[in-house]
Amino acid sequence: MGFDTALADRITAVVLFSLGIAMLYGGYTMDRLEIRAIHPASIPGLLPMILGAVLALCAALLFLKASQAKRQTAQQTSEAALPAEPPAQSLQNLLITAGWSSFYALFLVGWLSFFAATAIYIAGFIMVFGSLREAAAPTERLKSGAFTIVFSLLASAAISTLFRDAFLVRLP
Amino acid sequence: MEGLWALGDAFVRMTSFESLMHVAWATLLGIFVGSLPGLTATMGVALLTTLTYSLDRDTAILVLICMYVGAIYGGSRSAILLNIPGTPASAATALDGFPLAQRGEAGYAMALATAGSTLGTLVGIVLLVVFAPPLAEAALKFGSFEFFWLAVFGIVISGQITGNSSPLKGYIAGILGLMVAMIGSDGLHAHIRFNLGIDALNGGIGLIPAMVGAFGFAEVLTVMWRHKAKLAAKHAKSGRVLPRLSDLWRYKFTIGRSGVIGTMVGIIPGVGEDIGAWASYAAARRTSKERQDFGKGSMEGLTAAETGNSAVVPGALIPALTLAVPGSAPAAVLIAALFIHGIRPGPMIMIEQPEFIYSVAVMLVFATIAIAVFGLSLTRLFVMVLRIPREFLMPIVFTLCVIGPYALTQRLFDVWVMVAFGFIGFVLRQMNYPIAPLVLGIILGDLLDKSLRRGLTLSDGDLSPFLTRPISAVFAIVIAISIVVSFPAVRRGLGRFNPFGQGASPEKPEGDRP
Repeated sequence: MGFDTALADRITAVVLFSLGIAMLYGGYTMDRLEIRAIHPASIPGLLPMILGAVLALCAALLFLKASQAKRQTAQQTSEAALPAEPPAQSLQNLLITAGWSSFYALFLVGWLSFFAATAIYIAGFIMVFGSLREAAAPTERLKSGAFTIVFSLLASAAISTLFRDAFLVRLP
Repeated sequence: MEGLWALGDAFVRMTSFESLMHVAWATLLGIFVGSLPGLTATMGVALLTTLTYSLDRDTAILVLICMYVGAIYGGSRSAILLNIPGTPASAATALDGFPLAQRGEAGYAMALATAGSTLGTLVGIVLLVVFAPPLAEAALKFGSFEFFWLAVFGIVISGQITGNSSPLKGYIAGILGLMVAMIGSDGLHAHIRFNLGIDALNGGIGLIPAMVGAFGFAEVLTVMWRHKAKLAAKHAKSGRVLPRLSDLWRYKFTIGRSGVIGTMVGIIPGVGEDIGAWASYAAARRTSKERQDFGKGSMEGLTAAETGNSAVVPGALIPALTLAVPGSAPAAVLIAALFIHGIRPGPMIMIEQPEFIYSVAVMLVFATIAIAVFGLSLTRLFVMVLRIPREFLMPIVFTLCVIGPYALTQRLFDVWVMVAFGFIGFVLRQMNYPIAPLVLGIILGDLLDKSLRRGLTLSDGDLSPFLTRPISAVFAIVIAISIVVSFPAVRRGLGRFNPFGQGASPEKPEGDRP
């Protein structure tokens, strides 16, 4: 899975072009506040229109550049192999991190108390990436699992106390 | 002379046991943050901003500046010992620092890095005190037309320089940042724009949640995606840990030049420490008698890179304080922190709070002394910090990313903004879009919008004052030249006139994470 490829640039260019046109349209159709008798040159949609147009132009240039790069790459691939893609393990790590962290931030926080949500999140993170993955023997797993839980509770308590008592934040 | 008195007065006012304690813990924390791959100076300053809310004005800014200086310096530790820059500002440091560590001179490499950072920051502080007051005075002549061009200048220059091989991506990142700034109530008529029917967006996207997401959560994702780094532990404890004065004297011109280059790079809006380090490194390599050693463990190269990146810190504060235009991403967060604590950066600062610039200079001096003391005395402790496993560190970092933005406004919507910007920042970074112009765009969007519409209202819709007023005309010409130069055909044409020839400058890696 490569992010910095000519194909990715072309897809991004299409997305950015659409965003630019949407911004241009949004600025053009935005309320011009005639009822408040403002100067016509100070309408709120002026800069969004300009930015939308400039972004669309840049996106078009990006698309052209990516198309040229694709042709050059196609010529070069017969001579040299493409760079290796990141291993599946890295991608798996990324997806687990993104999913688990989003679950914590968007769902657990606000649903459970901050202390409980944070302790669960930290414990889950360490178990997935550390103790469960690396420990082989059952006793070793048990030991590192217990350590992980204690660490998570302590870390969560420290962060909660710091923000609640030292910085007077009403925790979610 | 008046400046010296003001500086002395600020020094007396700032010196207390309590403030020195704050300097100690904040700088130490900054060095830890900078030395850990995955934690950047911007992230550190952004997260700490949320913790300084309850502190008084001077203490809060002191703590943030110490974090900034400490983190930029701390990046050299992992660059030397792991060959992975703790912050991108130390990427050039790794080129010569790691070969020195492999030769068993890790301790001396860290000592040189400490000396370079200390001297670089001091050079920058002198230039800050000399340049900031007259620049603030000159900026009083700026009107809406000039501020419009200043904002455009910031985006164009930042996009071009940080975009590295593709300025187009830098420009796009800047425009995206400006577009983010268009969300919410507009600055002139309080008209709500692009809120997508979500009331929470009426006030716009907060800079702190956006920055914490783009630099914090995105970094957590990046770290977990990368392979684990291996510490060059056997080299870590070896060698002399104090710099030889003879070496520093031998590199005096390199230190002075790198300090000036770093400060000048810092003054350019939204460029940042990594460019300062690369520019200083390239200049040192061009003029050095030991040119062949660069990249193989050159002490001069290491000193130049570290002096250059640290000098950017005071340099970046010059436009941040006098024009409210950040010279780097951490300086952008500092601007937000200044507003939170009731300081209005910009041309009026020398009229409203003339003592503040000198207070900042004293804060920088304290932070510099602290990095020198800690850097030379706590080498082993920093090596231990580098051994913290990422699976223990990253969930704590993310927890702080969640609670930090929440602490400022007490609303969960800012946590969602942080998560969204984390994903956006991660994808943009992987696609080699620089993040600094995006941040600068969010900061400058309001200035650009208000200046354009105010200017047009003043001129009754006439565009000519944007091009005919002297300062505006200079800005317009410089911007036009910058854009033309960024076209590949023009760059190739100019490359033929490059007096240093091909390969004179070291290649800077893609991407930026100040």
